[in-house]
Amino acid sequence: MIHTRSRAARRAAVPAVAGVALLALAGCAAGTAEQSSTPAADQPQDIVFALKEDPACIDPQQTSVTTSLIVGRQLTDSLLDQNPDTGEIVPWLASEWEVSDDLTSYTFTLRDGVTFSDGTPLTSEVVAANFDAIKGLGAAASLANGYLAGYAGTEVTDDAHFTVNFSAPNVQFQQGATTMSLGILSADTVAQPAEARCASIVGTGPFTLDSYTPNDSVEIVRRDGYDWASELREHEGEAYLEKVSFPIITEPSVRTGGLESGEYDVIQDLPYVDEPRFSTPDYRLYAKANPGVPNSFVVNTSRGVLADEKVRQAVTQGLDRDKINVLAGSQSGKAPTSVLTSSTPGYTDLGDVLAYDPDGAKDLLEDDGWTLGSDGIYAKDGQRLSFTVTAFYAQDVLEAAQIQLKDVGIDLQLKMVSSGDFFGAIASGDYDALGAGLTRTDPDALRTLLSTASPSRWGIVDDPELESLLQEQSQTADAAARQKLVDEIQSIVAEKAYVIPTLETVQLHASRVGVDGVTFDSASRLHLYDARVVSD
Amino acid sequence: MAQPEQRAASARTGGAAAVARFLLPKIAQCVFVVWATYTVAFVLIHALPGDPVLAALSLRGGDATSTDPAELQALRERYGLDGPPWQQYLTGLVALVRGDLGISIATGQPVVDMVGRAFPNTAAVAVFALILGFVGALAFTVWAYVARLAWLRGVVTQIPPLGIATPAFLTGLVLISVFSFGLGWFPASGSTGFASIVLPGITLALPTGAIFFQVFSAAVFDAGASPFVFTANAKGLAQRTVVVRHVLRNALLPSITIIGLQIGYLAGGTAVVETVFSRDGIGRLTVDAVLARDINVVMGVVVVVSVVYAVVTLVVDGLYGVIDPRTRTRLTDGRRRPRAAVAEVAG
Repeated sequence: MIHTRSRAARRAAVPAVAGVALLALAGCAAGTAEQSSTPAADQPQDIVFALKEDPACIDPQQTSVTTSLIVGRQLTDSLLDQNPDTGEIVPWLASEWEVSDDLTSYTFTLRDGVTFSDGTPLTSEVVAANFDAIKGLGAAASLANGYLAGYAGTEVTDDAHFTVNFSAPNVQFQQGATTMSLGILSADTVAQPAEARCASIVGTGPFTLDSYTPNDSVEIVRRDGYDWASELREHEGEAYLEKVSFPIITEPSVRTGGLESGEYDVIQDLPYVDEPRFSTPDYRLYAKANPGVPNSFVVNTSRGVLADEKVRQAVTQGLDRDKINVLAGSQSGKAPTSVLTSSTPGYTDLGDVLAYDPDGAKDLLEDDGWTLGSDGIYAKDGQRLSFTVTAFYAQDVLEAAQIQLKDVGIDLQLKMVSSGDFFGAIASGDYDALGAGLTRTDPDALRTLLSTASPSRWGIVDDPELESLLQEQSQTADAAARQKLVDEIQSIVAEKAYVIPTLETVQLHASRVGVDGVTFDSASRLHLYDARVVSD
Repeated sequence: MAQPEQRAASARTGGAAAVARFLLPKIAQCVFVVWATYTVAFVLIHALPGDPVLAALSLRGGDATSTDPAELQALRERYGLDGPPWQQYLTGLVALVRGDLGISIATGQPVVDMVGRAFPNTAAVAVFALILGFVGALAFTVWAYVARLAWLRGVVTQIPPLGIATPAFLTGLVLISVFSFGLGWFPASGSTGFASIVLPGITLALPTGAIFFQVFSAAVFDAGASPFVFTANAKGLAQRTVVVRHVLRNALLPSITIIGLQIGYLAGGTAVVETVFSRDGIGRLTVDAVLARDINVVMGVVVVVSVVYAVVTLVVDGLYGVIDPRTRTRLTDGRRRPRAAVAEVAG
């Protein structure tokens, strides 16, 4: 697991690499050093990729933790793929697919010649078994089950053709089919109990699992004969890397130190504070905002001061999101400009609604009958303008917001809890606002978050107009028509401040410059298929 | 702690009976310690607010964690967390006697497997740290004892306490920077091979050695000032003989006594060290389990650590019989004698 690369060699190579990178930068007008790279023939094609935590479960259908999915993505292919830049859906394991007009049935044609790494072929039966198994997993696979909402079974026509049926329109399934949550595993794997699947899986991916030692490391090796990458990848055929070792390095300073010393080639989750240190030609940074709903206050409008729309709007105007991003965000990130992140397909720029306007916020409150108390906090009818946000991460974001809101006379109280207590609060509805983001690759994330019919909704909102729009977009197959609805939804949610965004959380990873081709998929998780070692 | 039936059992004469009379109460004490620990831990964990199933589920589910009551109830049944607390307590206790520690809520693996996997890694570091700390403390003690110059003795006795004053977290990071990233001698992470034990072992040996040194040096200097050493010196015995045969032997007993304490310390200390060195071990398992409120794993770890602690105490008590002749007499004639001054042993 430990890479015994010669320190001296690495030291000597650093200036050379830096020089090459500079030349490359100078050579390309766009400054894209990546384009010239091919795997170096004289370099062993294996890398050490330091993970930040134990994946705990490597079955991508069960887990929704980024660390696990970074591993799972390499082992598992999906029926479809999604272009992260355009949101366009393209073939992958399925060569063709059709969606019924009412979004209740999806018919797929499987690509020829795909096999699992245990040698068994990919057939319609296996796909059907996958979806059936996900239903059986229940709460253990809540994200995958979300994509399969209303699943009524898979009808197998022949080995290569099948139809997935739903009892109600399901707009998110098509996009869900591009995620590893609905990645396809072998018949043997899906027949295993949930726990066994967490420890070992067999997929059709460009890599196969060599070993997983909990709390220690994961090793994956190249799959011989792999030949079914999606068109979004840079090359065809087998992966470039022969082997990827994922040691689990929980201490961030050890990860950064190991990247500097050459012990690790790639590290997951570079702390934002270390970003400047690695913004040099010796390293590559990989940054992408999580798609979905940015880190936000998700409001409970059924109680407290946040029931008042004017108060919510004052809160949203009282937040200087650019400053929050500087204080608590990544250099590569930017302030949120909608209730969806800029990396989500269907995102609409609402920067003017979310603009910082402290005077406007005060005017709003004063027009609404609030008067500034001697303690600098507004009050009305003896009630202080105070609310609590319940959260289990990103305390720095909330503290920045707290200071900013105090300046406009709003008292924000932080309630940092464990993740379990956070979801406990959701289950009981006992909160003024939740402080968190929701990662999804489709604007339907807003329905999951806000709809009264959503099984685990976070925002408690009574707005029939919004509700009908949320339902309508989830039943609209026409992309342009749906986009109109999604635009409207974003406007309502931002203007009525049901969701008050604070920060676009950025996934930030780093590698040494000699490793190239690491790319994000549409869910901001990593593909290593095109990754290669281009220099020492 | 002698139980009536054990007294009856030891009423028979002969060496075996004496040994049984000596050991049985101690074994009973062992079992009691484990049971009491289990009970206290159970009460404490169940007194905490919040839903452990939801907490553990959110570890895997992230922002997609389901809060559907029916699904949660199904999982509760699966992990033995349904029904009234007394029922959970009894079920857990019965399973414990069978050696079954249940299933981890967060990972779904049997707790026995998880602990079994992590335990050797922790034990390797702990044993290495104990040995290193013991040897280091011994070296410093002897050095301080034989140092003729008062100021040198003063300086030497001031060095070991630094080991306990420096946080293990800091020591660990410094060692990694220098010996892993700087010199490349030892790996910065992982649990495979002896090389992976060295740095975490040293990190833990510093505070362990410091405690050993405190106990050790106090005992040695006490012994050094006692009449029997004076006598030995007066008889013209070589300094080395005096140190090894009289002084150190007296210092050994209190050191063995604190090994139990040291193991308690190491259980806590490994959590930090295993996090810094990214090792799979009991400490990190505990931290992860507490963060995820994976109560089945927390209970499992508590029970296993209490068993280790109890067994070590038992062994230490047994060792007294080997090292301290007075306990040996007690073993053979069955009479309890008041503990005399340590000096008497070699006198």
